[in-house]
Amino acid sequence: MLLPGLGPHHRDRAGGSIEPRQNGSLQSMSGSDGYGASGDPISEAEALRRLRQTDDPSAQYYAAWWLGRNRSRHPEAVPLLQEALRQRRPRDPGAGVEENAVARNAARALGKLGSPAAAAIPDLLATLEDEDHGLREAAARALGDLRATAAVPALCRRLATGPGVAGAMQPGTPRLQEPCEALLEALGEIGVADLEVVAVIRPFVAHERPLIRSAACRALLQLTGDGHWGQQLVALLQHPQLQVRRAALMDLGAAGWRPALGPIAATLAENSLKLIALRGLVETTAAPEAERGLGAATEAVLAAMDALL
Amino acid sequence: MTVSVSDLVAAVQRADSALGLLQATQALAAAAHPEGAACLVEVLGFNNPGAAVAAVDGLIAIGTPAVDTILTNIDGYNYGARAWAVRALAGIGDVRGLEVLEDALGKDIGPSVRRAAARGLGQLRLEALVEAERQAVALRCLQALVEGCRDGEWVVRYAVAVGLEALAPALPAAAAQQRLRQALAALSQDPAEEAPVVQLRARLALRRLSLTDAAADPAASAL
Repeated sequence: MLLPGLGPHHRDRAGGSIEPRQNGSLQSMSGSDGYGASGDPISEAEALRRLRQTDDPSAQYYAAWWLGRNRSRHPEAVPLLQEALRQRRPRDPGAGVEENAVARNAARALGKLGSPAAAAIPDLLATLEDEDHGLREAAARALGDLRATAAVPALCRRLATGPGVAGAMQPGTPRLQEPCEALLEALGEIGVADLEVVAVIRPFVAHERPLIRSAACRALLQLTGDGHWGQQLVALLQHPQLQVRRAALMDLGAAGWRPALGPIAATLAENSLKLIALRGLVETTAAPEAERGLGAATEAVLAAMDALL
Repeated sequence: MTVSVSDLVAAVQRADSALGLLQATQALAAAAHPEGAACLVEVLGFNNPGAAVAAVDGLIAIGTPAVDTILTNIDGYNYGARAWAVRALAGIGDVRGLEVLEDALGKDIGPSVRRAAARGLGQLRLEALVEAERQAVALRCLQALVEGCRDGEWVVRYAVAVGLEALAPALPAAAAQQRLRQALAALSQDPAEEAPVVQLRARLALRRLSLTDAAADPAASAL
């Protein structure tokens, strides 16, 4: 599970972002990796213009992020992002923007645009076959965000070889063979609870990496509603590594598993993340119908949120 | 045998692991002694959320005597530390924190700082002030929170709803009460609101305030 983003370089999985932003305008985008200079407040027209040109990839990179962050409804946004998704470039350390970074941000932005981006689902499916691991990862998350049921067979196919192959370490890199976390999360988000889908996800609950286990439990909790998987996630809230506790928080929030209220509030992690997780418990449609709106159960979550401010 | 505050401070300074720091900070916080305040403020900047929580609790337990130490040591360059310091000020509720809280909600770049400030603006302790001053401070809090309704981050707007609810009893003037309720109503109904949880929290605040109003009405008519 990725964490809420700090600007155009990070992915926001939990419906909230913690980048500096106030009163509707971007006040500072100073990322840790040197794109801060392009982080000025711009208009939608300017974002479209920057994405359309191809001479300056870092301007395209920012523009793609901007259109997603601001949920652009402009009719040109999706076609331009589809175009940017096809843009490939060799790694050039002097250019300021990494290999395929524009395409990755285009995929992420499409995921944020909701139903108007449905036209781009075939493009994202094609991107899921790209040889660039990071691009497959971004495409998988976008397909999950768009609840693209058409993507389920391809997502399953990428995971079908299980933890031993798809989930094996890529020699010499911190990556696995496939972007398993993103693929698993996408299957959970899309919500097709077929037995075959569950069978593909299931072996990953025993993956050696706790972040992969967390993603698998989250997807199974979303698909089956079986509290056993929620309990596994709650156990990960006690993990000695902060990174794992953070991931489990986000995953419980995304699944909206109400029994996790107490454990989430008590987790040793930043309040910002606990608040995002608890927001998930309030808002997710997976919560029983009777508990939505302003019932006592919702009030209990809100009280826990109040205490974390 | 009793352990002195300076021993507890030394233990925090000696801690060489995250867990060690957490435990030493908890011990110092539990003492709730003003001489521990400076060390607790220092812990806020260590990027150890567990220890920071303990340090904030300790500073709130020390209360008013910790306020000067916090105000003079706010770290302008460390989001995390500043958020914790604003939380401590919010928890203590000392009116000397008003300017820091106003400034933080209106201008701070970190949403976690703005959200702590919004909550704090609803819970300043105004009882000790003379009437005119109390009203002036409460109106400044209201103004800052009303402006905070337009914040770009959902979590800050959420905290503004919480702050407005908490501020309501401190506002005597009918006009100010109405302004506060209008701000909550706008938060609860804004069609552009991307976070349903903000709308829900504002609705909850309005429901509770209307219950208070209803309870107050018969008393008023009995006079």
